[in-house]
Amino acid sequence: MTRLPHTLLIEELTADVRPVRPLASPLRRAASTLMALALVATLAVLVASNLTQFRSLHAGREVLLMLEMAAMLATGALAITGAFFASVPGRARGWLLAPLPFFAAWLLFSGTGCYNLMISNGGTGSGQPSGDSTHCLLFILGVSALLAPAVIWRLSRAAPIDPLPVALLGGLGVAALSAFLLQFFHPFAVTFLDLGVHLAAILLVVGVTGLLNRRALIGRKLPV
Amino acid sequence: MAARLEVDLLKDGKPLTVARAAINADWSALLTAAQAGDADAYRRFLGAVVPFVRTVARRRCWSEDQAEDVVQDVLLTIHRVRHTYEPGRPVKPWLTAITVRRAIDATRKRGRVSAREVFDEHAYETFADPGANQEVDKDAPKILAGMTAGLTRGQKEAIDLVKVKEMSLAEASAFSGQTVASLKVNIHRAIKKMRLDLLGKSSE
Repeated sequence: MTRLPHTLLIEELTADVRPVRPLASPLRRAASTLMALALVATLAVLVASNLTQFRSLHAGREVLLMLEMAAMLATGALAITGAFFASVPGRARGWLLAPLPFFAAWLLFSGTGCYNLMISNGGTGSGQPSGDSTHCLLFILGVSALLAPAVIWRLSRAAPIDPLPVALLGGLGVAALSAFLLQFFHPFAVTFLDLGVHLAAILLVVGVTGLLNRRALIGRKLPV
Repeated sequence: MAARLEVDLLKDGKPLTVARAAINADWSALLTAAQAGDADAYRRFLGAVVPFVRTVARRRCWSEDQAEDVVQDVLLTIHRVRHTYEPGRPVKPWLTAITVRRAIDATRKRGRVSAREVFDEHAYETFADPGANQEVDKDAPKILAGMTAGLTRGQKEAIDLVKVKEMSLAEASAFSGQTVASLKVNIHRAIKKMRLDLLGKSSE
């Protein structure tokens, strides 16, 4: 195949160059996206959740719950912020790892909560039938399916040159925020089985966004 | 210390670090102007960054030819993602990230191709007689000359450059001075005329 000389390619590219609007900084774009998500989530919690049941369900373990939810929120927010940074060439790659310590903390705090619950029930688990965990799975998948298109649309504005880490981080962020929201609608205290289902749902969301990465992030017509 | 002195050698009367900062500011200004739609600034920017991109690409490519492919891929990518450059920020990290990514993509593509494809020169042979496997018929130039005899000069030139020499329309346009549109029209009319001539001869 004959390669076009660089000068000719440059002439072709510059022949009908149109003005483009530079993207805002990744931090600003991440902040506006997270604020929009926070607004929707707050409305959903205020309108649809039962906060009285939520308080009574977690009475006596407020500190652990706060730590667990803070870790979930940090995982989600940092993963989405990291995805925005990873979508722009030449920005700090450290953002790719930023959510991982908080994800580990989330597992630690959740695991501790499950362990405490198991001990208080005499080492036999919470006694919840396994079928109840289906609710959690469907909640995380459903909320992620609602939030992910908006986040992916915002990320796709950058037409990432390496879409896979962007998609994985975006998926993790959306799934973590869905799990955070789930806490307000959870009908019973989290058991080990339930935690496993939460993790499976998160992995599923991350896997799907990872598989869709190129198609979802750079498949559409680009602003050139 | 000697190495440090080499790094600080003067370039055009200025220390290299100052020269590098000037280049960065210059590229940043050109790219910002290109984002605003300034074609001349965009042309100067793309022309200026080619040596830098080539240097980065060569470090990650195994052949000169592949490095040049990566340079072209980077130019196309710059065009596609030029809106992601944030005015005021250094250009080189942005440019390096794009180049490194495209070099990695090229390396992976090469790995995939070499894992699934083999080169077998005998696979192209379909007949026992070696002469029958010649891609180019020795009478082909004569036949082609006969077919193009009735064409205008512009049509002949368009057919010769685009169809015989396999130039792209842009290359043929730069070479001949014909516009891309007139090349397309000339090729279309020439093929139509040659087809009619052949049909006429075959029906006689």
